[in-house]
Amino acid sequence: MKKLIGIVGTNSATSTNRQLLQCMQHHFQKDATIELMEIQNLPMFNKPTADKLPDIITEMAAKIEAADGVIISTAEYDHSAPAALINALDWLSYGIYPFVDKPVMVTGASYGALGSSRAQAQLRQVLDAPELHAMIMPSSEFLLGNSLSAFTEDGALKDTDIIEKLDGIFADFLVFVDIAQQLKNAHDANKKAAADFDWDKIR
Amino acid sequence: MKLLGIVGSAAEESYNRQLLQYIEKEFANQFDFELIEVKDLPMFDESNDQTQSVAIQNLNRKILKADGVIIATPEHNHTVTPALKSLIEWLSFKIHPLATKPVMIVGASFYDQGTSRAQLHLRQILDSPGVNAIVMPGNEFLLGNVKKAFDEFGNLKDEKTRAFLQSNLQKFLKFISVVSKLDDAPEQLPDEDLQAKGSVATTIPDVNMSSDHWVEEAAAKVHPVKGDTYVQLDHGILTVNQIDELLKSMPFEITLVDGNNQFLYFNHTSESASMFAHRKPEQVGNPIGDCHPARAYNHVKQVISMLRAGKLDVFRMPVPHGPGKYVVHNYQALHDTEGNYAGINEYILDFQPIIDWYLKKTGKELTGGNVDAVSGASKKDNTEKTDAVPGASKKVSRQQPDAISGASEKAAPVKPDVDAVSGASKKD
Repeated sequence: MKKLIGIVGTNSATSTNRQLLQCMQHHFQKDATIELMEIQNLPMFNKPTADKLPDIITEMAAKIEAADGVIISTAEYDHSAPAALINALDWLSYGIYPFVDKPVMVTGASYGALGSSRAQAQLRQVLDAPELHAMIMPSSEFLLGNSLSAFTEDGALKDTDIIEKLDGIFADFLVFVDIAQQLKNAHDANKKAAADFDWDKIR
Repeated sequence: MKLLGIVGSAAEESYNRQLLQYIEKEFANQFDFELIEVKDLPMFDESNDQTQSVAIQNLNRKILKADGVIIATPEHNHTVTPALKSLIEWLSFKIHPLATKPVMIVGASFYDQGTSRAQLHLRQILDSPGVNAIVMPGNEFLLGNVKKAFDEFGNLKDEKTRAFLQSNLQKFLKFISVVSKLDDAPEQLPDEDLQAKGSVATTIPDVNMSSDHWVEEAAAKVHPVKGDTYVQLDHGILTVNQIDELLKSMPFEITLVDGNNQFLYFNHTSESASMFAHRKPEQVGNPIGDCHPARAYNHVKQVISMLRAGKLDVFRMPVPHGPGKYVVHNYQALHDTEGNYAGINEYILDFQPIIDWYLKKTGKELTGGNVDAVSGASKKDNTEKTDAVPGASKKVSRQQPDAISGASEKAAPVKPDVDAVSGASKKD
């Protein structure tokens, strides 16, 4: 069974993105284990000159490193991913490279109709940066609009069409995780490229 | 013209900060430029609203007052820094100071790309409905290979780069004036109650504000300390008498009006007839509506509402007092430690002795044709090559013309419309 990490892409105490990941955790429990990862209470990324990263960051990195794949569910603030999520990704690519060639599925939920479409588009560009270099599943946008009314009291998705779409994308993601294993010829070079893109040289 | 520069990096050392510092220094004679930092601000969290914190409110006020904003963004992972994004999230959650504000984007980076992707993201972010800034199109200023870009004095080495930045900034200044024309309907500020019918935390209740003996009657209510009682201030300890002596020694007349538009104090330096403002002790306590003729109400309201809203820090108005004097009434906004509007310090100052003293000390003269005396002086300064105190001449060329040209503009009959006041805000 695949081991996945689900990153809650907001630091808000209440979040329909958290709800979406919890729903997926339950709904896909026969196919995969999804461990939720929070990005609350991380320090503001400020390019510290000291070598040592905060413990919480190295713990998160180790979990991502060990996982078969990562699902990031992003909120949308001002047409882009929340500062808190960008912050987490900046820490998780600062001298450590857990995301390099890691299969990533992007989802997002929003109160409005657009379902974080612009935030997802920007997030894909971010995950493509040299030090993150994630293997983002292509052509698989999952947007949950009007998310406040999308869930039942038990936390399941109400709309069967949406469930069907999510089922399809998630099944594809599990296949993508396997395929990604075969796309590792450039992995060593990619890790090296990420490490060579050295923050120490960049202020 | 007042511009604000936002340093988009939270790092201790930042070339984007250096770029803005260069702009501040190089273009000092074209606009006032203040730098603000995103470091040390709290991470945006919609479940822990800190919009009312001092740090966010101060930035809010500064942005509201600025004619335009220049954001210098680094690029991390193809996008803007979390610290910059977090600030923009605070400024688009409960408050929206960037709405319709002209914004110019610049960026410096180590590599050839020079923040190209981060700048595109930032444009999308600033264009979102919650932010709604008006970003200057085109004119992308990307400073790549930044480690080699500055000399030891923090100046840009490459002449073409300097010229390009100069031309972009010129366009931005024009862009600001174009954008101001887009906004046909002037913003309606809340009406001011000149009769002080409301109250603020410090209002002394149940005393007749119009009474000739308001001070005595209010004192009977709150029993204020006086005489040789010590009072602790930021920063020092004085007795009430010492505070009085200090205020009376000031070379100007001070009047304090609180946030409720109540006249609370003036430094009673001499008989009211010989003071510029002719304040009488029995006026203290009055709502300021009682201190002005009704025909001036609109203008008074307009000035107070702009000071209250943070559109202006200070409003200056010259009042003729005969030859040999240049008396200016300065209405300076007061703020509490949390940045909230707390009233007005009106100080009335005769600039003429200062100008005379300056001319005597420096040996300079007022020259020029139809320009008024004082702007002529500043003009002279600008061309003065051999100046014993270069720092001083800089001060003069930047500050005197501001104060005085704002004033001379006001010397024309003041119409109580928006033009009059936006002219003032421009100058100040």
